[in-house]
Amino acid sequence: MKTDTQRKTKLPSTFEEEYRSAFGECAQRGGEAALSRAYDLGRRAISEKKSLMEIASLHHQALHGMLADAQGAARHQELLAAAAEFLAETLSPYEMAHRGVQDAIVALRQLNETLEEEIKRIAYAVHDEAGQLLVAVHLALADVARELPKPQKEQVGRIEELLNQVEKQLRRYSHELRPTVLDDLGWIPAIRFLAQGVSKRANLSIQIKTTVVGRLPGPIEIALYRIVQEALTNAAKHSKASRVRIRIGRKNRLFCCSIEDDGVGFDVRAVQSEGKRRGLGLIGMQERLNGIGGTLSIDSARGRGTRLLIQLPADVLHGHPHRAGR
Amino acid sequence: MAINSDQDIVTARQKGRALAMELGFSTGDATLIATSISELARNIVSYARRGEITLKIVQASSRQGISIIASDSGPGIRDIRQAMRDGFSTSGSLGLGLPGVRRLMDDFEIASEPGRGTMVTVKKWKL
Repeated sequence: MKTDTQRKTKLPSTFEEEYRSAFGECAQRGGEAALSRAYDLGRRAISEKKSLMEIASLHHQALHGMLADAQGAARHQELLAAAAEFLAETLSPYEMAHRGVQDAIVALRQLNETLEEEIKRIAYAVHDEAGQLLVAVHLALADVARELPKPQKEQVGRIEELLNQVEKQLRRYSHELRPTVLDDLGWIPAIRFLAQGVSKRANLSIQIKTTVVGRLPGPIEIALYRIVQEALTNAAKHSKASRVRIRIGRKNRLFCCSIEDDGVGFDVRAVQSEGKRRGLGLIGMQERLNGIGGTLSIDSARGRGTRLLIQLPADVLHGHPHRAGR
Repeated sequence: MAINSDQDIVTARQKGRALAMELGFSTGDATLIATSISELARNIVSYARRGEITLKIVQASSRQGISIIASDSGPGIRDIRQAMRDGFSTSGSLGLGLPGVRRLMDDFEIASEPGRGTMVTVKKWKL
């Protein structure tokens, strides 16, 4: 009976050992079996989260060793050909994954646009349709009140007062969802309007300073508005901050917008990798900015507040959107 | 040809690659064809244990291509849309498995009946 120790060849365990062994087999004997192993290795590399850089370096080292041992130009040629085939085979699962990611990015951008349409629709429904219903309720209440004695009339009056507040709030939410200001006056007035609301609701002092004027292309304004909106939501929800400062300006050829709070801060890496609502929010901001050619840097640590910096090439200010969507 | 072992997968890949080269596909495309065969065969082995892969030359008006048919009489796929969605298999990464094959090839068809089996037909055309 055979035992494990009696077996002559023990299976290589680490990815690196396995790679060298399969590569060696491919270089010695060639053949489909070795290429099939290469493909399995590529898949294994993905599941072990190996970077392409690691694979390139591993491949290079292994090839270097083989070339040093080999004699003659003809053998070198053979080795190089086998190495190319082997590497291509190892990378083919990465090619598949890469195409998958590209498709996912396109889908994400389309989803963003669909969501924007949906938000517009909801904002309209809240503002116009709910508003009309409220008017109907007011009229009905007035009818009822006419028949009532004075004390009850006063009660109805208080109900009407409450309804007025509901209407005001609905109007406010609708404007924040998709401010008509954004379309009519631009993203900076829209942010001022939003900041007023957030400031009141979250008891947060929000200061906005800007040195730029004028409008940007539509998709860029919407993207910037959504990003600042997300940042303010985060500040109000998580940061326990008392002050937020928003600065908008130009620096050399860059258009910059920073959002800074004096709150508790967070561990950027941990939050980004945890895939929860907040991490996704940050990734969403980054993705929106990528879509319009901008970048986002996040500077935060526990106990140090948070600073988000949005940067865009300044030519977008003159209506030359860089890769602007649509 | 029958698929129920690693050796069968190697044979299928070899035949697919040889056919691709014969038709004048580039080495890169031949690699992607071999990769698709591996993915399809891997699906057969892991979900149905055994099945078949058939390779064919296909002709359409002015172009030639290669078709790979992977079939099995395994448990079948109850929800094809879900199976075609990225990240739903056990592959551990976005874009591998059946959705990955769809992206590597030009045409992709899948038919499956729970309890009866699955048949995936893919084609790659020569440009």
